[in-house]
Amino acid sequence: MKEIHELDLPDDVRYAEDHEWVRSEGSKLVVGISDYAQDQLGDIVFVELPEVGAKLSKGEAFGTVESVKAVSELYMPVGGTIAAINGKLEESPELVNNQPYGQGWMVEVQPGDPKEIDALMTQQAYLEMLKGL
Amino acid sequence: MNDAVKMTRLHQWHVQQGANMARFGQYDMPLWYRAGAKNEHLAVITASGLFDTSHMSSIMVRGADARRLLQRCFSKDLHRCIGRQQEPLMAGRSVYGVFLAEKGDVIDDAIVFQIDDAAYLVVVNAGMGPEISAHLRSHSNSGGADISDLTDALGKLDLQGPASAKILGRVLADPASVLTELPYFSFTGHFDPASPLSDSVKLVDGTPILLSRTGYTGEFGFEIFVEPEQFTQVWERILAAGQDHGLLPCGLAARDSLRAGAVLPLSHQDIGPWPFIRNPWEFALPYTVDRSGFTKQFVGADALLSQKDSPYTYPFAGSDLRKVTAQDPASVFYSSGDAIGTVLTCATDMAIGRSDGNIFSIASPDKPAGFQPRGLCCGFVIVDRPLQPGTTVRLKDNRRSIEVEIVTDIRPARTARMALAQFLT
Repeated sequence: MKEIHELDLPDDVRYAEDHEWVRSEGSKLVVGISDYAQDQLGDIVFVELPEVGAKLSKGEAFGTVESVKAVSELYMPVGGTIAAINGKLEESPELVNNQPYGQGWMVEVQPGDPKEIDALMTQQAYLEMLKGL
Repeated sequence: MNDAVKMTRLHQWHVQQGANMARFGQYDMPLWYRAGAKNEHLAVITASGLFDTSHMSSIMVRGADARRLLQRCFSKDLHRCIGRQQEPLMAGRSVYGVFLAEKGDVIDDAIVFQIDDAAYLVVVNAGMGPEISAHLRSHSNSGGADISDLTDALGKLDLQGPASAKILGRVLADPASVLTELPYFSFTGHFDPASPLSDSVKLVDGTPILLSRTGYTGEFGFEIFVEPEQFTQVWERILAAGQDHGLLPCGLAARDSLRAGAVLPLSHQDIGPWPFIRNPWEFALPYTVDRSGFTKQFVGADALLSQKDSPYTYPFAGSDLRKVTAQDPASVFYSSGDAIGTVLTCATDMAIGRSDGNIFSIASPDKPAGFQPRGLCCGFVIVDRPLQPGTTVRLKDNRRSIEVEIVTDIRPARTARMALAQFLT
């Protein structure tokens, strides 16, 4: 298990309590799971993602991530419409382990309320939350 | 039961190696190390893996009444249990069986090792030493058996996988004399330097070990028992010796997925407080040839023989790697739509996959060209009716529903029973 100081927690994304991250890219938001989440789950062997066009509210499950240990729900950190999904994860789910903030991204969302991201945690706030776990 | 978290002697080592730790029974144990559970699982199929299993309990049963006591409490008939000829258990051999309550429910499963005429090592699950010791004492009326619970007083490590014999050969003082004929479920040596048996297996530094051709992975390998003071150095010595053979330290996640694929039960999950009957492990019962009764009387026997409406336990294999979460719980549905039972274990065996419907392993000699499996979900279900192999049932948890096939076996081309000599060339 990674020590807190070993975790990769970039400061250009915001974090949700369920360990998803969100990055603003133009008018869209890109969503994935944090380094902490992938480390806790272990080898990710399957990722189930929603259909493009699905409308989901904040907190709603948008898919599952399956590791050798468990199957976990993925929750929308912001509400909106699924604009794209990362099709590479079907063949290479391990990208979530190897590059959680890069090639391991999961969905792109057209947010209903672009300001919703501001309510999510900054890197510093997320780090504080992890220290408390 | 004491709720304090226990640790094995290797706990600090596990943490230093960056293992993901989790509570298992009373113990804080590694789930996987940096290599990850998938690589650890595959290492045991293709090379070798090393497991810290000293959380398991061992009990030494000695004395003139020891055999009679085990014959009374353990499900195997110790007079008829070795090989096709059904020979008696003898020194240097071991058997798998269960300890049952009077009503036929499982208290725990175990391997009984016959050390000599009046000493038996009973290896049970983590935390079960006190309960099985008490159970044995309650049936030891004559006081002719001395029962000592060795929980936390014995180191145990499992070296599993096809490279295990070669790796072991590098750490044994006299490999040529030890790695000869050591059939499945036999053992040699002793962990206690005071025992004359300890002379027969020593490591290069003189540490005596009890070396057993057993394991919980379905693959060729050994269980090694050693005095706790020697445990860490033996662990590190074997790991170093196996480095260029692809040996990986392995955690409980790989142990669980390997045993599920090998159709081995997890006590208190796949067998437990219900009658030990109508399951894939009835070979642990001493049936007569015509299966009309048992060859001996033992605790729980009458209850099993009078069972009429016990549920049925079957192995299953999925069509891909997606699992359901047995703890949700997950239910089993028949094609008619009827709910017929629950899922006991659901794991992913990462070494297998399907081709034209048939299951192959990466170790299968007849695997299709270019076979690169992504794993199959597998495990055990307990249902209210008999099902034929090949029957499709649906497993459903809180989030998904998957179709699986009732099978008689899961991971093909397992190596546990193969002759030792094949692994030395």
